[in-house]
Amino acid sequence: MDKKTEESFLLDFEKNQNIVHKVCRIYTTSQDAHKDLFQEITIQVWKNYEKFRGDSKFSTWMYRVALNTAISLYRKSTRTVKTQDISDVAFKIKSDDYDDTEERQLKALYKAIYHLNDIDKALIFLYLENKPYKEISETLGISEVNARVKMNRAKDKLKKILNP
Amino acid sequence: MSTMDLDQYKKAWDNQPDTAEKLSALEIYKLTQSKSSSIVKWIFIIGLLEFAFWLGINYVVTKAGGFEPYEQLNLMNFINYTTYLHYAVIVLFLLLFYRNYSSISAIDNTKTLMRKILKTRKTVKWYVYYNIISVIILSIILIILIINKPDGLSLLTGLESAELSSGKMIAIFIIIQVLTVGIMVLILWLIYYLLYGLLLKKLNKNYKELNKLEKINE
Repeated sequence: MDKKTEESFLLDFEKNQNIVHKVCRIYTTSQDAHKDLFQEITIQVWKNYEKFRGDSKFSTWMYRVALNTAISLYRKSTRTVKTQDISDVAFKIKSDDYDDTEERQLKALYKAIYHLNDIDKALIFLYLENKPYKEISETLGISEVNARVKMNRAKDKLKKILNP
Repeated sequence: MSTMDLDQYKKAWDNQPDTAEKLSALEIYKLTQSKSSSIVKWIFIIGLLEFAFWLGINYVVTKAGGFEPYEQLNLMNFINYTTYLHYAVIVLFLLLFYRNYSSISAIDNTKTLMRKILKTRKTVKWYVYYNIISVIILSIILIILIINKPDGLSLLTGLESAELSSGKMIAIFIIIQVLTVGIMVLILWLIYYLLYGLLLKKLNKNYKELNKLEKINE
């Protein structure tokens, strides 16, 4: 990778790193695992950056690589999974001038998402990030019709968890 | 619960502030220089180890003089030709394995990516099957050839022909061969089950989950 590509990678990645943090928050439950997954996603984006030709937005492309890494490539760290950690660790979010109710809702949302399977997590994440069905179906490699059916099911599951 | 409520959660999601753990460009650069520990890398490493393992076994057997009795039985031509064929097949498998491996890319869509990973692993699986099956077939052919040769068994076992005259000895010989191959296959199966089963458990589950509806609707 030449210097110029390197620089534009760092610029793009730094600007969009919030996407990666959100993916890590959804797919891991401890700080160690979060860091592990973040590192693996960074490596994957870096490794494939030269193949990114700018025919789509960098962020769109990054969603795909980040989710692919979380769902397929990343080996779950053995140090993970203590459900009670979620509220402490996964929410290293700047909390000044952030509404109390919304903060509570956000925590409840993350907690609920944690109980979904990996594919449903991806669907709900893309829904929350306002991705159109066309993009969701292209990212996951399933038809748009199936993306809709799956999404409705995932939403139902999420609602049930949020309000049993 | 109404969808209204999910919309509320979505609003909280939209309004969530940026992470407090923002990394600087330098920190990101450092991460890019660290080593990947992805499943793909492990499959590649384990795959290469398997190729090496079977080549090693072949080498050890040859060096340890495992073929000497066959030499005395004039079966060396047969052994040699099958060995050449065996190596050609291994090269073919290695090429396939490498081609599948290098086609894996995190920028494919999720389903394609999963399919390619599983395909790479399958190449190795077929390689293992090939080795086990070829061992079994070769054993059977050799048993038949040896039994049909006068003095075949006595040359192989070092025992007097008189002691081997009965069909009982032939039966024992066959049973020992079958048991050896059987135990070997069992041990290998266990190793592969542990290696790949654990490594690919999550991926297999996700692949099934992603494909669930596709199969119904196709």
